[in-house]
Amino acid sequence: MTTSWNETQQIETHLLGTANPGEALLFDAHLLLDNELADKVIAQQKAYEIVKQFGRRQLKQEIEAIHQILFTQPQHIRFSQKIRRLFKKT
Amino acid sequence: MDLYKSAFPTVAKYVSRMGGNFDEAKDVFQDALVIYYEKVILTPTALKNDIGYLIGTARNLWLKRYYQTSQHLPLDNLEIPLTDEESPSHGRLLRFLETAGRKCMNLLKSFYYDRLSLQEIADEFGYSGTRSATVQKYKCLEKVRESIREKSLVYDDFME
Repeated sequence: MTTSWNETQQIETHLLGTANPGEALLFDAHLLLDNELADKVIAQQKAYEIVKQFGRRQLKQEIEAIHQILFTQPQHIRFSQKIRRLFKKT
Repeated sequence: MDLYKSAFPTVAKYVSRMGGNFDEAKDVFQDALVIYYEKVILTPTALKNDIGYLIGTARNLWLKRYYQTSQHLPLDNLEIPLTDEESPSHGRLLRFLETAGRKCMNLLKSFYYDRLSLQEIADEFGYSGTRSATVQKYKCLEKVRESIREKSLVYDDFME
């Protein structure tokens, strides 16, 4: 493990299951002997989940911005009225 | 915006006919857009009918969330990946990361969520090439990972 990002990369290939058999075996051996590495693997898995949540949150914000434009800007009034009319009766 | 304009009316009509309200229609439609986006990003050629997929997903979401009187729902096997809404500790961490390293988060998001290529990332973030974009990506990943490890010491519940 020369540099730290090298290790991070190895953890990534381990988590994605894209390591070749030799590398995978070696990594598994490291994993057994090195508690800190095992710890990093768990945290890195979490990191991907966090990134995904962050991505979703950004995307939702972009979608909401479009919604706001469609339902508040005068040039889209015909569209927004058409939609709102659907829910008038209830 | 085009997708919104062309697909939302159909979803709204459906929800309204089923007795739902505007906010419900908006809610399921926006989540359907997220599901649609994630699908297209992973397998760009998977969908033959984008709008149909979007409308179908929104309908299923609405049925699942709001239409509870009937037990025999045609939910088929739609995978709905949006239920893992931020748990409190996730939310806290997310806020922390958003302020601590927005550039890193954006870079990671571009790669892992939006699936941009390293070249596109290098161009967008101003790196000299794919190699330095790669290094930067891993450095950012490390930063996030290490802050998770620090947090896990503070919040015992964080690692579940």
